[in-house]
Amino acid sequence: MMRRSPTWPIHLALIAVCFVMLVPFYWVLKTSVSGENIFTYPPNIVPQNPNIFYYVDVWYAIPFARYFLNSVIVSAITIAANVVFNAMAGYALTREFHGKGFILILFLSCMMVPFQATIIPAYLITGQLGLLNSYVGLALPQFSTIICIFVFKASFDAIPGSLIDAAKVDGLPEWRIVWTIMLPLAKSAMATNVILSFIWSWNNFLWPLIMTRTPEMQTLPLGLARFLSYQEDTTGALYAFCIMVLAPGILLFLLAQKEFIQGLTSGATKG
Amino acid sequence: MAMAMSAAPERRRTSFLRRATTRQAILVWCFLAPSLLIFLLYRILPLAWNILLSLQAWSPLKPAVFIGLENYEEMLTDEVFWQSLWNTVFIILSAPVGIAMALGLALLVNSNISGRNVYRTLIFLSYPLMTVAVAIIWRWMYDERVGLLNYVARLLHLTDTPIPFLNSFFWALPSVVVANIWQMLGFYMIILLTGLQNIPSSLFEAAEIDGATAGDRFWRITLPLLRPSIFLCFVIGMLNSVTSFDLVYVMTGGGPGRATEILVTYIYKLGFVQTRFDYAAAVTVVFFVFLITVAWAANRLSGGNAGARDME
Repeated sequence: MMRRSPTWPIHLALIAVCFVMLVPFYWVLKTSVSGENIFTYPPNIVPQNPNIFYYVDVWYAIPFARYFLNSVIVSAITIAANVVFNAMAGYALTREFHGKGFILILFLSCMMVPFQATIIPAYLITGQLGLLNSYVGLALPQFSTIICIFVFKASFDAIPGSLIDAAKVDGLPEWRIVWTIMLPLAKSAMATNVILSFIWSWNNFLWPLIMTRTPEMQTLPLGLARFLSYQEDTTGALYAFCIMVLAPGILLFLLAQKEFIQGLTSGATKG
Repeated sequence: MAMAMSAAPERRRTSFLRRATTRQAILVWCFLAPSLLIFLLYRILPLAWNILLSLQAWSPLKPAVFIGLENYEEMLTDEVFWQSLWNTVFIILSAPVGIAMALGLALLVNSNISGRNVYRTLIFLSYPLMTVAVAIIWRWMYDERVGLLNYVARLLHLTDTPIPFLNSFFWALPSVVVANIWQMLGFYMIILLTGLQNIPSSLFEAAEIDGATAGDRFWRITLPLLRPSIFLCFVIGMLNSVTSFDLVYVMTGGGPGRATEILVTYIYKLGFVQTRFDYAAAVTVVFFVFLITVAWAANRLSGGNAGARDME
C-alpha cells in the first residue's frame, strides 16, 4: 500500500554526500602523483603529468620497509593473542559459574576506560615488565579486547547445546570440544576479530609514540608523523606515504566489509 | 545395611558432580585468566595507580612524597588545564552533530533504492582509516595557500582572503571537529541503520493506515525506538572525540597557542614532554571523572537503559 515516491532526490542527496566523503581521498591521491600544486595557485583539479616519483621518494628517503615490517610484526602478535584470548574468554562466559555477574560488570566497566586515560601508569607498568621499546610491549595492551570477547560469546551462544551434549556423551574432553566443534562454527566471529584487531593495531599511534625509543622500533603511523614533522607540507612524498599507509586498510576493508560491519554492530549492540 | 547400600552410590554421585563442577570452574577461570590479566594490568591497575600518583609529588628520579590534594589545587589555577577542559567539552559536540547527520543518511540509505550498499560502503570508508593519515589529509584540505577548502571558498566568493583554518584561534577547533565528524559519520550511520532495521515495519504500516503523516511516523515511532542506538552512538562518539589524540596531535599539535589543546594531549605533554607524571595523573583522574559524568548524564537522558539490550 506504500505510495512509491520518486527515488531520484534520494540518489541525488546520497551522491552529494559520497562526493564530499571521497573528495579528500582524491585530493591527496592527486597530490601524491603530481605534487604540483603544493606551490601553485589556483590548484589543478586534474593532475598534469601524473607520475610515481614521489612513491619512489618514499621508498628511498625514509625507512619505509622498516616501519612496514614493524607494523606487520606488531599487528601479527596482536591478532594472534587477541583471537586466542578472546575466544577463550568468550567461551568461558557462555558457562554458568560463581562470580560471572561480577566478571561481566568488570568487563563492561573496562569498556568505559579509554586507553588515553591510562597512559602514565601503562608506561610505568610496561617499564616494570621490562618491555619498553619491544614488539611484545607494543602489542601487550591490545592482547584482549572486550568487544571481541562479546562477539565470540554471542557466536558460541548461538551453537545448539545438544551438539555439545552429544560430544560430551561421546566422551570428548573439553578442549577438544572447543577445538573441533566450537571454533569451526565461530569462523565469522574469528574473521571479525582478526579484522578489528588488525585495524586497531595497524592504526595505533599514541602507544608507540610513548613507548618506542629507537627509530628501529617505530611503526608506520609514527613514521608518518615523524616524516610530517621534519618535512612539513612541502613535498608530494608525504601524500604518497599517506596513500601507501592507507592502502592496506582500505583493501582489507573492501574485501571483508561484511565481517567488519557485522563485528562492529553486533559487538556494539550486544555489549 | 539397605541404607548403606543406597547411600553409597548417592555419595559417589554427588562427589562426581562436585568434582565435575570444580573442574569446570577451574577451566572457566583458566580460560578467563589471560584476558582478566590484561584488563587488570592495563585498565584497572592504571586507574588505581593514577589516583595514588595524583596524591604524590613524584617523578621518575625522585622518591615519592605524599602531598595530599596539592596537585588538584594547582589545577584550579592552571589556565592551560581549564582551556583543555573547555576544548574537550567543545569537541564532544562533534558527537551529536555527527549523529544528527548520520541519522538523515541512515534514513536515506534505509529506503528501498538500488545501489544502497555502494553508498553505504563509500560513506563508511573513512572510518577504518589510520587517524594519523586522516589528520594529514585534512591538514592538506585546510591548507591556507593551496588547500581545497580555501580554493572553493574563494571560488564561491565566500571570502577574499584565505582563511588560515588551522592557525586561527577561532577556526582551529571547529576544523578538528569537522575532520572528526568526517571520520565517524559512517560508523554512526551503520549503528543507526542496524537500529532502524530492527524496528518492525508493521508499526509503520499500522501508523499509515491510521493516517499518520511521515513527520508523525518519524517523531512518534522512529525516534523513540531508535533511542538506544542513538545513546550507543553518543557514548561511542563521545569517547572517540574526547580521546582523539592522534587527530589533534598531528593536525595542530594543540596550537595555535593552546586553542586546540584537549585533556588527552595535555596529559601526554605533561607526562612525556615535561615528565610531570604526578600532575599528569591528577589531570587524568579529573578527565576520567568527567567522562563518567557525561556518560551517566547521557544514560539518564536516554531513559536510563544502558545500551541496546532491551531492543533484542
